[in-house]
Amino acid sequence: MLAEQATALVNMEQLEKVYPNGTIAVRGVDLEAGAGEFICFVGPSGCGKSTIFKMIAGLEQPTGGQLEIFGNSPHEARKQNEIAFVFQEHTLLPWSTVEANVMLPLALRKVPKPERREAAHRALRLVGLSDYVKALPRELSGGMKMRVSIARALVSRPKLLLMDEPFGALDEITRQTLQQELLNIWRQEEGMTVLFITHNVFEAVYLSTRVVVMTPRPGKVSAVVDIPVPFPRDDTFRTSPEFGHYVGLVSQALKH
Amino acid sequence: MVIDKTELPALRYGNPDTKNKGRLRQAMPPAASVARKWGSKLLPPVAAFVIFIGGWELAGGLLGIPAYLLPKPSDIVRAAVENAGNLGVSVFTTLSEAIIGFLFSIVFGVLGAVLLASSKTVEKAVFPYAIVLQTIPIVAIAPIIVIWVGAGANAIVIISFLIGFFPMLSNTLIGLNSTDTNLKNLFFLYNASKFQTMWKLRLPAALPYIVAGLKISCTLAVIGAIVGEYIAGIGGGKGGLGYAITVAATRLQTPYLFACGLSASIMGIGFYLIVNYFSRAMLSSWHESEMRTR
Repeated sequence: MLAEQATALVNMEQLEKVYPNGTIAVRGVDLEAGAGEFICFVGPSGCGKSTIFKMIAGLEQPTGGQLEIFGNSPHEARKQNEIAFVFQEHTLLPWSTVEANVMLPLALRKVPKPERREAAHRALRLVGLSDYVKALPRELSGGMKMRVSIARALVSRPKLLLMDEPFGALDEITRQTLQQELLNIWRQEEGMTVLFITHNVFEAVYLSTRVVVMTPRPGKVSAVVDIPVPFPRDDTFRTSPEFGHYVGLVSQALKH
Repeated sequence: MVIDKTELPALRYGNPDTKNKGRLRQAMPPAASVARKWGSKLLPPVAAFVIFIGGWELAGGLLGIPAYLLPKPSDIVRAAVENAGNLGVSVFTTLSEAIIGFLFSIVFGVLGAVLLASSKTVEKAVFPYAIVLQTIPIVAIAPIIVIWVGAGANAIVIISFLIGFFPMLSNTLIGLNSTDTNLKNLFFLYNASKFQTMWKLRLPAALPYIVAGLKISCTLAVIGAIVGEYIAGIGGGKGGLGYAITVAATRLQTPYLFACGLSASIMGIGFYLIVNYFSRAMLSSWHESEMRTR
């Protein structure tokens, strides 16, 4: 157990993905993510950040380099049920209640019902939706649906949480609230590593312990910016000169 | 028939709890407004019906058209009442044949579609033949069925089933193949088995399509049963509507013929309404096609 903790949760070495038609999606990506980190991948569309996520999830196979998760292949790692996913769309089952939607990952693993329910209620409490257990997705607002989607990801207490532009479709006010809640949850769930895709520099700086800046054609990491600002962070951080400084650093790296 | 859609818990896990804050239920409309709504909705068609029937009765009487050419509504009703026993048996026979045929087409249509959707190879190999099978006019193969299983209820049920089978199969198949990619990815990422993906995702997602198939097949099943009786019907006091219609036509019992035709239509409409009710019950809570719109 100790030895496992010492190794990185996610380890990429010279990771490369070239599509059959010759398009280089990503090339030469080196990155190590340790337990408890919050890493944002920021970059314009086409920079390969989604491709990296797809490779971690096992939806795409790398064409070069190494990719290890928990010291295993992505396929093996996914079988351990310790990775969770949140997409830009809420991807909730429209015919299922909030509770059933949140329980889904556990139901697919055939976890006993009482246990499932307990875990779902805990996750819904984390996102502040305890009162909506029996509601259907269509009865919820966009922000609430995203909360349910996050609760579904948290229900199995994952070690690794992959979020692909989860707040991209939300309005700015809802987005800021959810950012705050996400940080609170991440701090409560000790040791959980979050990998977060965004094209929003402000969001990346606000959330992360590290920002991975990516540039397109070919997709590669142009800089990794540490954000050593202590948590808890709140709205005063958003307006501080420090925040501006890091936003400047990241924006600079994006132009390379 | 007043159907209150909000009271039908459809495909929902756990029991619907009215006290739950999360459920945004609409308040029941007061009785007066319901009466007004039905008044404004029902009055025009009822009025049209009365005028049409009255005009028909009047014209039939005034012009002196013989009943064997065009019976008056009163003649039809009299014929139906006088032969109530026979008509009842015919209706019951046709109804049971249509229901059994319809149930078979649901079971085999959905099962067949699940099978085809489980494997692209199987689908590519078999589906073209299902279409070919469909293009063969049922009347053309009905005599073969009679040769195989003999005249009577068995043949009629098979004909009714064959007519309703294809709409069920193709609609369900389209539904199973149009599952949202994001949801399919989600199930893949959470290590769902093929069976789980089918049962928990693809089938429920295909429900709107399945229901569309049901709506087509249910009326076709009635038509199939009657056509089957034309070809494979047997008398002996147990003949269905199709048989009764052929007999009435040859004997020029036109009023009774009308009564039989009318019964068949009512049966078709009844079938459709029942399926419609189920469709609402299953989909109104989550699918746009059956949502309550005011």
